Amino acid sequence: MKYLVILFVAAVIGVFANLVHESKMLSYLSSDPKVCINCHTMITHYATWEHSSHRNKATCVDCHLPRDSFVNKMLAKARDGYHHSVAMTFRTYGYNLRVSPDAAKRIQDNCISCHRENVSQMLANSALYEKVADPAVQMGRRCWECHRGLPHGIMRNLAATQNNFGFKER
Amino acid sequence: MKKSWIMIILCVLVLVPMVLLTLSIKENKAEQQTINAVPAIKDFESRSAEWGKHYPRQYDTYMQTRKSNEISDVLKQDPALVVMWAGYPFSKDYNKPRGHYYALEDNINTLRTGAPVDAKSGPLPTACWTCKSPDVPRLIKRDGEMEFFTGKWAKYGDEVVNPIGCGDCHDNKTMKLTLTREYLKRGLDAEGRLKAADATHQDMRSLVCAQCHAEYYFKKTEWEDKGEKKTAMVVTFPWKNGLSAENMETYYDGINFSDWTHQLSKTPMLKAQHPDYETYVTGVHSRNNLACADCHMPYVREGGVKYSSHKVGSPLDNIANTCLNCHKGTEKEFRETVERKLARKNELAQLATDVLAKAHLEAAKAWELGATEEEMKAALQDIRHGQWRWDFAVAGHGAFFHAPEETLRVLGGAINKGQDARLKLRVVLAKYNAADYAAPDFSTKEKAQAIIGLPYAKLVEEKKTFLDTLKQEWYKQGEAKGVYDPATRKDMVLKTSYN
Repeated sequence: MKYLVILFVAAVIGVFANLVHESKMLSYLSSDPKVCINCHTMITHYATWEHSSHRNKATCVDCHLPRDSFVNKMLAKARDGYHHSVAMTFRTYGYNLRVSPDAAKRIQDNCISCHRENVSQMLANSALYEKVADPAVQMGRRCWECHRGLPHGIMRNLAATQNNFGFKER
Repeated sequence: MKKSWIMIILCVLVLVPMVLLTLSIKENKAEQQTINAVPAIKDFESRSAEWGKHYPRQYDTYMQTRKSNEISDVLKQDPALVVMWAGYPFSKDYNKPRGHYYALEDNINTLRTGAPVDAKSGPLPTACWTCKSPDVPRLIKRDGEMEFFTGKWAKYGDEVVNPIGCGDCHDNKTMKLTLTREYLKRGLDAEGRLKAADATHQDMRSLVCAQCHAEYYFKKTEWEDKGEKKTAMVVTFPWKNGLSAENMETYYDGINFSDWTHQLSKTPMLKAQHPDYETYVTGVHSRNNLACADCHMPYVREGGVKYSSHKVGSPLDNIANTCLNCHKGTEKEFRETVERKLARKNELAQLATDVLAKAHLEAAKAWELGATEEEMKAALQDIRHGQWRWDFAVAGHGAFFHAPEETLRVLGGAINKGQDARLKLRVVLAKYNAADYAAPDFSTKEKAQAIIGLPYAKLVEEKKTFLDTLKQEWYKQGEAKGVYDPATRKDMVLKTSYN
């Protein structure tokens, strides 16, 4: 019986190790944008980013994860990763991916963090003179509501193949 | 005992979802591989339909170049050209170009390529295929460049069977733009402004066109094939001194090159091909770093898909999507502006052809009256230079638009050289008591071809025999070899200036 238990535990360890390998689990600890195209779902976003002006300045995680502390970054990564895995496994996502409210807040913060020089006066003015519907969002609207094409282009439907047809990992 | 069971049950509870998850991941990965698969197109695939299976939109638009199908007989419009090209194949037949789809068809059908009866007969060398087909890089790879450029045109009739297509400009593995003609690389490197190795993607969007849309000559090159001495006629760009008409003129004079000796005036002549790239780089659009493809292959949308149209043709067919991308104004204004530019060029070109044709005829008269080579030399040099410049300015596609100032400048030079020649010839004629000689009337294609004694009816008859026999044979053999896709010619109608 004891050996049977050992066998089962060994099987669990083995299957888990294989799962780690197959899912490239450890790669998710890195910040390399290529990790985000482990699944083909993100290829449109990867390709559009790679052809954008942001590619030399900001990687996926620079915009999409919080940058205030390492713990927050990893927590957000774990939470997003979990949601993405579920969506991928059970195919619950549609053709048009939309950012979650939580992620939108992070991205907006990150826009401001890099472009502070340009937007600080706008923020100050807004705080003084503007009444906004949603005080959680600085100035009541987010950067990309006007700068729509940044950086993923206006057209980012997953079936919009012009951005990823014949895509080759570089 | 009980503990062990709990462990085992726990293990199973963990194992089952883990195994399922692993399977799901494997399935996703297999799918990803299918999605990311790069289409497999074999090396030197010359049948564009094979590429079209993977790039249907590009292929469809490429096939639309068949809509540019009008035959427009330039010799009829300006019969002076017949006189100017006396003794050279262009005096037989010269039409405005049609779409890429017809490149091969028109090359085979024109009276210029003559009527070979087998692989070794016919007036022209293999080099005349060079720009017409993606079969050319395939043959150069198979036989070697020297062998490709050796022999008569008819040698490759059953091999060059697909018109200009995907394989001329694209790498079959990566779809990136690539130069398949080595002579362009050699030309660029000799000129030095832009080394072939330094070309950016934006440069390539013009350079792939420049593989054919450029001035060239056939350089006689001796080579040895397994101990046997052979002579190749290698397509070469005369770019060493620069890209302008005068630079190339100096180059040709320097190597004492002539395309042919004029039948009437005995001038060692130069024939300009189509210096489109060379002209274009002097124009304002090039200076602003536009490429050929920016206007001739504009991006189009089809639903959610954006791609570059491969219906290469006049940007005026799609002004809204070309000119108006950058310029303000209306389509009508743009059309009128371009028409005015064309009219200006035509005005000067007409003057030039009239002057040059008369110069040839006057020179012929002088020879007839017994003029010596010494007396004629200076005038003939002026004719050579004048006609070269005129040809340089008009032989290209749309030079009047690509670089209007440069085109008019070169035409101005052509007229001046032509009149210089006529002044000198008038002195010679006066010496032989023919100061009031007037050149015969060459106002129609027929009259002009009669003046130069061209056996037009015979040429046409021979050509028709060739079209009915050897041409048909070529395509049959091409199909048997598996290099030709008959679907690409299924609606082809024989359209020429002579049938």
